[in-house]
Amino acid sequence: MTRLTPIATISPQPALSLRLAHWWADLRRHPQRILLVLLAIFVAAVFALPLYFMVSSSFKADQEVLASPVHWVPQDFQGLTNFQRAFDEIPLARYFFNSFLMAGVDVVVTVIFSALAGYGFAKFDFPGKRLCFLFVLSTIMVPFQILLVPLFIQIHSMGWDDTYAGLIIPGIMNAFGVFMMRQFAYAIPNELLDAARMDGASEVRIFWQIVFPLLSSASASLAVIIFLFSWNNFLWPLIVIKSEAITTVPVGITVFTQPHSAQPQWAVAMAVSTLATLPILVLFVFFQRYFIEGFVLSGLKG
Amino acid sequence: MFSALRSLGRGSSVQRRQVWGLIFVLPTVIFFIIFFLYPIVSGLLFSLTDFTLLRPPVWVGLQNYQDLLKDRLFLKSLSVTMGYVVGTTVPVWVLSLLAALLFYQRFPGREFTKTLFFTPVLPSLIVVAIVWRILMQPNGLLTQLTRPFTGLGEVNWLSRPDLSPISMIIINNWTTIPFYMLIWLAGLTGIPSELRDAALVDGANRVQSFLRVELPLLRPTAVFVAAISSINAFQAFTLQWAISPGRGGPIDVNTTMGLLIWKYGFQFYRMGDAAAVSVVLFAMILVVTVFQLGLSRGEQYSLE
Repeated sequence: MTRLTPIATISPQPALSLRLAHWWADLRRHPQRILLVLLAIFVAAVFALPLYFMVSSSFKADQEVLASPVHWVPQDFQGLTNFQRAFDEIPLARYFFNSFLMAGVDVVVTVIFSALAGYGFAKFDFPGKRLCFLFVLSTIMVPFQILLVPLFIQIHSMGWDDTYAGLIIPGIMNAFGVFMMRQFAYAIPNELLDAARMDGASEVRIFWQIVFPLLSSASASLAVIIFLFSWNNFLWPLIVIKSEAITTVPVGITVFTQPHSAQPQWAVAMAVSTLATLPILVLFVFFQRYFIEGFVLSGLKG
Repeated sequence: MFSALRSLGRGSSVQRRQVWGLIFVLPTVIFFIIFFLYPIVSGLLFSLTDFTLLRPPVWVGLQNYQDLLKDRLFLKSLSVTMGYVVGTTVPVWVLSLLAALLFYQRFPGREFTKTLFFTPVLPSLIVVAIVWRILMQPNGLLTQLTRPFTGLGEVNWLSRPDLSPISMIIINNWTTIPFYMLIWLAGLTGIPSELRDAALVDGANRVQSFLRVELPLLRPTAVFVAAISSINAFQAFTLQWAISPGRGGPIDVNTTMGLLIWKYGFQFYRMGDAAAVSVVLFAMILVVTVFQLGLSRGEQYSLE
């Protein structure tokens, strides 16, 4: 199997026991280093604290959320009551459906068209290529906020106000994806493509059956990152969405950011926040490698 | 472009094949013409009109920009945005680098610890706002944890005009430091360990070897982190929208330019003014981008 990763591949690690022994020997020579390790653990705990508070508070009673001093473990354990209340309070199921729909379409379209364009830029030489590439690249440098007003007016004049089309289509492509796929497509050996051409395969078939499968690792990294961006996207949905039918999770749960009621439902707010973060957490746990790779690539190349 | 296509069609089969590259690239290019180039140009034009969505735009020339110079809220948003950019970029740059050095150490359970540290990057900013609104209640967790140092019984983190912008910066730092830590860590991992070992053999201590050997090699990363974190801070919107009292308050201390675009455009429907603020914001971000590209010449993007 050809592994196509332009970034440094991790060299095979020695056995765990060996690493532990090495670490222990190192520590005995420089005992002060344990302080730095403890500091790293402490810092990680501090940063993880708010999300731990969120999850644990979603099992508390409303008034217990603000208990002083804080209850690290719920004392008046509510089970799933707060989650049930969340679904009664707002049409959360609808919001989830819409968010999954938007993220799903974003992921599929971005991955396929980025792979297509990235392959086109990497392996072909056509007139206007430089201009096209610079144009696509320039979109990375313009923040979305600059497009907000004119894009809204454009969607408005297209009659896409408050529709799935208006919500999803303007964000469906991503220049960073094109750039990333182009880097990975370079690594595909030309001989492989030429051999397929000799066998009479069409260019479209070469893309689907040879190029796209070889880009699967890059596609996975791109997919999880696009899912995260799309799932958490807020500004554009806030502008476009008017009716509950197409409301996504981040827009739908804003009722909990500035509650007008005299008695805010703190525990329900925490349950809703936990639910809204759950898909991302699950993805992160299972596809951490791709997340990290995607983050680093989006960072370095974005 | 079409004449070029035709001339290619007459060429050899190898040349004809190249047309497929254009076909593969075309959907993306067309998409960006419709949903990027067109709105950018029309946004520039809107900023020169008096447009409210309710009636057709009237050409007013540079009037919107002249008005902005006298607009108290706009001038306020300039200083609020600059304060937020400086207040987030500087500590994020330093602290994410220090965090990367901490997690660059090898120790058992490092991957798990790193994962814990990374969790703030995952939730949406609306979730972040909901959670921190509770943590920043006058008698909430943040007050309790800082009480040993401040001695204060209750702190109005969000509604005190002097404290509220700092609270925004604290929250921003919490969600972004782990992300930039990852970028620094990728940079650190890319440095061959022989270089550091050589410095250590030559009698440098760890700090010296970091400052003399590794930091200079991390220059592209350093420029990148500074540029991207400031560009993101320039666009600050969601947190201020969601958590500051009255969307940008108290007394507008959290009204960033990003929030002002939303207010003018989607609360007051003054699209011309909103477009003008967007153009000014774009110009400011462009300065940072040009600066970044100048500092990391040719390292980021190559055509071949």
